[in-house]
Amino acid sequence: MSMSYYVAPEQMIRDKAEFAQKGIARGRSLIAAVYQAGVVVVAENPSVSLNKVSEIYDRIAFAGVGKYNEYDRLREGGIRWADQTGFTYSREDVDARALANYYAQHIGDMFTDGAKPLEVEVLVIQLASAQQASKIYHVAFEGTITDEPQFAVIGGESELIRARVAEQFDPAASFSEQIQHCVTALSGAERTLPVQDLEIARLEDIGERRTFKRLTDAEVSEILAS
Amino acid sequence: MGLPLFDSGTDPGPSFIAFLNEATPDSVFRGVAEELAHATTVVSLRFADGVVMVGDRQATAGYIAERDVRKISAADRYCALAISGTAATGLEFIRIAQLSFEHYEKMTGRLLSLEGKANYLSPLIYRTTTTTPFVVVPMLAGYDTARKQGRIFRYDRIGGCYEQPNFDVIGSGTPFAESTLRLGFREGMTKDEAINLAALAVYEAGDNDPSTGGPDFVRNIFPMIVTVTENGFEELAFEETSERFRIINQRRTASGGRAEGDLR
Repeated sequence: MSMSYYVAPEQMIRDKAEFAQKGIARGRSLIAAVYQAGVVVVAENPSVSLNKVSEIYDRIAFAGVGKYNEYDRLREGGIRWADQTGFTYSREDVDARALANYYAQHIGDMFTDGAKPLEVEVLVIQLASAQQASKIYHVAFEGTITDEPQFAVIGGESELIRARVAEQFDPAASFSEQIQHCVTALSGAERTLPVQDLEIARLEDIGERRTFKRLTDAEVSEILAS
Repeated sequence: MGLPLFDSGTDPGPSFIAFLNEATPDSVFRGVAEELAHATTVVSLRFADGVVMVGDRQATAGYIAERDVRKISAADRYCALAISGTAATGLEFIRIAQLSFEHYEKMTGRLLSLEGKANYLSPLIYRTTTTTPFVVVPMLAGYDTARKQGRIFRYDRIGGCYEQPNFDVIGSGTPFAESTLRLGFREGMTKDEAINLAALAVYEAGDNDPSTGGPDFVRNIFPMIVTVTENGFEELAFEETSERFRIINQRRTASGGRAEGDLR
């Protein structure tokens, strides 16, 4: 008969949290920030095809950091959930808060019951509509969910970057001003991020049903040069 | 309905249909038998820079059930999808197609190719025909961004997909519309010429087929005219559509109802 040995719950949670945090800290960070006409996500991502930011639905975007395979699976689940909900009911019934809650439940379950906690943090971003203001839902590695009205930072060094974003943050900044501010906050004073290492996408109303757009390298260069 | 997560063995991938089958069996096509609206004429025609599609607006159920049905939809930015057959299953069919193409794009981060979209519809048609008493025959026309040309795909009622080199017609007004296209089609037509010929084909069908609605000058309802080019799906504005049908109608009136002259 095998003996199960006792581990204090506090110890176990601490160990799991440390494990998840280590995994997340290894990855690059990203910032989601409200600007005058929408929400922009600026991510440090050297990969051209393995995206951190993605479209979920007409007015909802997803951003994840940590282990790619883990947050990409969450992204896929989110798209399926959104398309199925919109198909069953109506497009307007697809709600970012509900999706963020599902993510929080799943990530929380994996943290407490899984073989290992997920090494991810995700953002669910909702573009403002006539009924509500823009919202950024932040789901942490243990399932804690918070909503940020102006900006959120996830990934390694997120505290440091958050402090840099908070300095002179202006939710009414223009699209290009906000991108410049976020890129500066991501890179810090000591280094400059090359355009190829940036992944930038935004949600903005331009009179179309779908509001998500990923910027090309050329578009990013132009904005950073201005 | 929780977050639909799958393990790698059962993961349905980017296909929305495969996902729906996995998640909710039987939820897609549950038909209700009643007296259903049908009948149509939709034509599509290839020209130098893309395709044009024109469709009548009438739904018939023994009588004229609707006068302003929009039978052509943008399945996505680069393709137009039209339906003939039972209205209920047809509308469901369009919803599924639009959703599937967008779902694929979001899941994979890239657009499905035009041929990929055309093939995707085949099993959908087969399933509607074999599991319900209702028939849906769609027509897909779009702009192939890789080949830089317009392409047209026709289907039979069990889902066979056949690419058409020049033009295609679906619906009960087919004999009249197709004859018009057959006589008028030339290789490398301009957009303007193609629109006029396609509009004339639907006019002919409306004139001869009791189940196809022609231009309705009393209610100001005109067949839909759309084009798909490298600029994507565009619908002609009401003023331009009505003007083109007005010109056809005036010529026909002037010739005493006979198809004569350059623009017949």
